Amino acid sequence: MARVGVFVCFCGANIADYVDVPQVVEEVKRIKEVKYAVEYKYMCSDPGQGLIRDAIVQNKLTSIVVAACSPRMHEKTFRKALSDAGMNPYLLEVANIREHSSWVHQKDKKAATEKAMDLCRMAVAKSIANEQLHEISVPVTKRALVIGGGIAGIQAALDIADARIPVVLVEKSPSIGGKMAQLDETFPTLDCAQCILTPKMVDVASHPYIELIPYAEVLELQGFVGNYKVKIKKKASYVNFKTCTGCGACWQKCPVKVPNEYNMGIDKRKAIYTPFPQAVPNKPVIDAEHCTMLTKGKCGICKKVCLPGAIDYEMQDEIIEREVGAVVVATGYDMWDPTPYEEYGVGRFKDIITSLEFERMVSANGPTNGVPQRPSDGKVPKNVVFIKCVGSRDEAKGIEYCSKICCMYTTKHTILLHHKVHDSHAYVFYMDIRAAGKGYEEFVKKAQVDTGTTYLRGRVSKIYKKGDKLMVRGEDAQIGQVVEVEADLVVLATAVSAPKDNPELARLLGISYDKYGYLSEAHPKLRPVETAKAGIFLAGCTQAPKDIPETVSQASACAAKVCGLFAGDTMKKDPMVSTINNEYCSGCQNCVKVCPYGAIVTDEVPIGHGSKELRTVAKINEGVCQGCGSCVAICRSMAINLAGFTDPQIINEIVSI
Amino acid sequence: MITLGSQGKNTFLEDVNKKSGANVLECYQCGKCVSTCPVSQYMDFPPREIMQMIKLGLRNESYMANSHWFCLTCSACSGRCPREIDIPAVMEAVRHLAIEENYINDSKKVKEIRKFHEIFLSMIKRYGRNYELRMMAEFNIRTRNLFKDMHLAPKALLKGKIPLGVKPLKSAKAIKRMYEVAERLEKNK
Repeated sequence: MARVGVFVCFCGANIADYVDVPQVVEEVKRIKEVKYAVEYKYMCSDPGQGLIRDAIVQNKLTSIVVAACSPRMHEKTFRKALSDAGMNPYLLEVANIREHSSWVHQKDKKAATEKAMDLCRMAVAKSIANEQLHEISVPVTKRALVIGGGIAGIQAALDIADARIPVVLVEKSPSIGGKMAQLDETFPTLDCAQCILTPKMVDVASHPYIELIPYAEVLELQGFVGNYKVKIKKKASYVNFKTCTGCGACWQKCPVKVPNEYNMGIDKRKAIYTPFPQAVPNKPVIDAEHCTMLTKGKCGICKKVCLPGAIDYEMQDEIIEREVGAVVVATGYDMWDPTPYEEYGVGRFKDIITSLEFERMVSANGPTNGVPQRPSDGKVPKNVVFIKCVGSRDEAKGIEYCSKICCMYTTKHTILLHHKVHDSHAYVFYMDIRAAGKGYEEFVKKAQVDTGTTYLRGRVSKIYKKGDKLMVRGEDAQIGQVVEVEADLVVLATAVSAPKDNPELARLLGISYDKYGYLSEAHPKLRPVETAKAGIFLAGCTQAPKDIPETVSQASACAAKVCGLFAGDTMKKDPMVSTINNEYCSGCQNCVKVCPYGAIVTDEVPIGHGSKELRTVAKINEGVCQGCGSCVAICRSMAINLAGFTDPQIINEIVSI
Repeated sequence: MITLGSQGKNTFLEDVNKKSGANVLECYQCGKCVSTCPVSQYMDFPPREIMQMIKLGLRNESYMANSHWFCLTCSACSGRCPREIDIPAVMEAVRHLAIEENYINDSKKVKEIRKFHEIFLSMIKRYGRNYELRMMAEFNIRTRNLFKDMHLAPKALLKGKIPLGVKPLKSAKAIKRMYEVAERLEKNK
């Protein structure tokens, strides 16, 4: 015979003002299984919990009902109170008489009280069928996978590795460094991007806990939190990194010239190349698309000049597997392509460049040795117009959102321009100046006052050619007049967009992404680092546009999450998971299809006892199951039960009202 | 339409900054000056727009504006300016530069304001102080509006706000000499 204790909370005035709590207590006392019922002002407080603890011991209670706020609020608190009294914590039932009754029925106290009584009766009925449940322990593979070797991936990898947790860092290009390696100086302090980034890159390569896999892609991820198996494709580099010394003889002699991606195609690289001199690893790869040896079988110079004999034209893509417990996704961003801006003459006028192209030009290791040049005639520009929000905040041609970093990098560009060309003048067409960040507004003031950058408030309507100049027309809303600026060079602050491979990556990882292609966090405010899939975390622009300080913060946050996950040898998990009764399972696999977490797989069991013939049944992975109950609802043979929400429990609830 | 970028260095900005001692580039166009200014509604370009025009190097447009003539130099704007720009000094600099370079707004309003300034200064030169009655009379005659504000006269007279005579200051002669020195300096410049 069950002995139920009911504890009804006033929640100060939150419940008591609208629900007649003493009457609820009187009502539940009439249920024959209820051996103890009491009300208290704040049941969650220490004396309130004490009341529960004492009652359990004194009245030999077998299950507990707390009628109070939402279980999301205090279920854990009360479970702990049960544990402290030596009772299985899952014998607790919470009747939510605050959010579900007092708060929503403030105008009708009588109805609110009646509903509270119903909720309590249901909880009591359910609790009678409650069973003792035990936390599930899941083993953990203490190794993390970091996808993407930009500043986000680098920071996350270093922070995790510093906690002596092995990291596998996968980067798709031949070198880590990402977009930050392409930057000249960084706002608002103007410290040199290379100077602060390359030491970190070297740290990654030399860290005993980091396995760096460059020129590779993630193909497949299987398993669940703590126990993932990942398949990684190492693209053929045609260079044996073990024997290559990085001497550079091969790329000096290579006759094939290809537009250099690192310099935004402003100059050329060879078909065998390292992306940039500070690359990590500093080993070349052969671009199979352009190498004449690989495409036509002619040439082979690099092999002839390579003294260590590191060149191998026969190399094939290799697929390797790693076991990891957590994944950090840090795939960065793409620059938005401004081609739709026909009125600006994008593509028609050579002297219109994007901000990243300008960044390469003013960079000391860039194609023009740090002095900006007009692509048309190589002259040093004097009047430079910067146009902000190209693609950003433009529902017609671009994307709705604000790219967040353009205001600041354009400010930086005007200052850098002035540093490199002293008699130049920068004009900025802007809609707003969004300078929210430490030292950002001061940085904008520096540009406006010290550098003398002219800010014109308005979107540019068109650009046309006049002689060798570009005429940039827009409104200056500050004086309400149309202005035209005679420009030598126009720089478009193009939007930040999600990496185009993100949707595919999201699918293979089993996480979600938004309409723009950014990967989705579990909660926009309170869980900005986690994804909805346990053990997968997000760092940097792959989640949304952000600047370097924010990216680094988020990467370190990811590392903290990974370290937290790996803190014990096993992970504890709520036991509210589904179980399958093989006797009833018909093997229809409907549950496999509806499970949003991929927690159900198929299994083979003998048809009968001792039989050798096999039949298919569903099998639930406790580690992955989140207890949503979708499989229970879809199962036609009622073979699935969800612990904590079993059929007898639910039926009891229904019958009680 | 305004064309920028072809005229090279912004000399107008440099002139105004030098003359006023302020830095117009400090202005970030918040408009607090405009909403503070008691006469901004009479200006064709309120102070914020004048600041932007200086930044863009629009010399002629700034000279021809009536704003610097309407400015009372009451300093309410600069008192509230978040960037602490001495806006009245900027207005004065534009006014001086406009006179020096002979760009004078010839609207009726500006003409009247200039006449008012001239008459006021002539009063100080003559008496060392203001002689209200004569000033008003002279202003009304010279602007050909004899009965302007005449309805206020009886009340003002009764309250003793308009003394019928004037007693020149003891230092009137010294003040006159100051004028002469200033005029000589102006000529020799």
